[in-house]
Amino acid sequence: MSFAGGSRRPFFLAAALTIFWASAAQGKSITIDDSGSESLEPSVAMRWKTAAPSRATADNVMVGTLTVRVRINVTPWLRRSGRIYLVLPAQPPGRISLSWATQGRLQPGQLQSGNRVLVYAGPITAPFMEDILTFQFTVAGTLMQRAVPVTYHFEMDEV
Amino acid sequence: MHATSPSIPAIRGVRLAGVVLLAAASGSAAAYTVTLSPQAPQTIYLQVGVGAFTNDYINGGQPEDNATVNTVSITMPAAALGNGTAQAMTTNSTAANSYWDGFLFCSVPAQLYIGGFYRTTGAATAAAQVTATVPAALTDATGDSLPFSNIQWTSSGNLDTGAEPFPAGSFVNGGVQTVGSMASNTWNESCWSFSYLNKSVPPVGAYSGVVLYTMTAP
Repeated sequence: MSFAGGSRRPFFLAAALTIFWASAAQGKSITIDDSGSESLEPSVAMRWKTAAPSRATADNVMVGTLTVRVRINVTPWLRRSGRIYLVLPAQPPGRISLSWATQGRLQPGQLQSGNRVLVYAGPITAPFMEDILTFQFTVAGTLMQRAVPVTYHFEMDEV
Repeated sequence: MHATSPSIPAIRGVRLAGVVLLAAASGSAAAYTVTLSPQAPQTIYLQVGVGAFTNDYINGGQPEDNATVNTVSITMPAAALGNGTAQAMTTNSTAANSYWDGFLFCSVPAQLYIGGFYRTTGAATAAAQVTATVPAALTDATGDSLPFSNIQWTSSGNLDTGAEPFPAGSFVNGGVQTVGSMASNTWNESCWSFSYLNKSVPPVGAYSGVVLYTMTAP
């Protein structure tokens, strides 16, 4: 009994240290003010990806595109370096796929809801970063009975 | 007053600085919200005989309207009249290829193509139903009649296995009957081979009747 108890203590200590270092290495993510962004369309018109479904299995994918003039306020990180992510939280109506093209200031990419993807890494040289992003949302038609709001945001990992 | 008040502004100043720093860190950040709006979410397409697509579906084709009414007919040989041997009927429909991928699915003029789909959003719903509205009888110019139940059909399709979405059957003598169904968001198609049962010897004449096929989505 005493031997077993003694072997557990180092294990718990090691576990605690591991958690501590993992947390420290992850750094801090801060949501970036994107109140200067604006959509070029009022909403995302979701249409069937294909006009007709497939023969054998249910084929119910809907897609829609939206162009957003993105303007994010990176003033707090001016003259520093940072890593900027596009975040699509897990949210109703369910699994959402998002891909986007850019004009070059930010990186294009794709992700599933509940995840984030790096869109910029490097020095912050101006108070605002601007780009035009063309988003494509992909959602199962079974989830699209009515119009639904979907949110995303940008966040900064300070280097 | 002056003996005690100078320390108060100093404390306030520290607290104010703290508030400003927090505001700078969080900014006025908020998630950007867009609205996903389903557009024209429900679509139905039914084709009996010839139909119209701008192209095969797998090549981006879109369904179109086609008002053609096709005919299934037979000219009975006098020697076979009423002998109880079913006689195969043929159609003037030229629809042999599926609009899904262009595959040669039916054999014309022996078979009549029937197919389509219905698109709907939201959770799974009941299947769309395809019904036939059938007159009581086929009639000729002099008022003679043949019960519609004298016509039956089998169902198949090139390389098809398993149950057909539009199975074999025979017409009722007047009324509305279900001839198939379509689960949501699936393409369904069959090829019907009609035959005349030939169980009686009716007066000589050209007998005809029109069956109307209707698709109803929930």
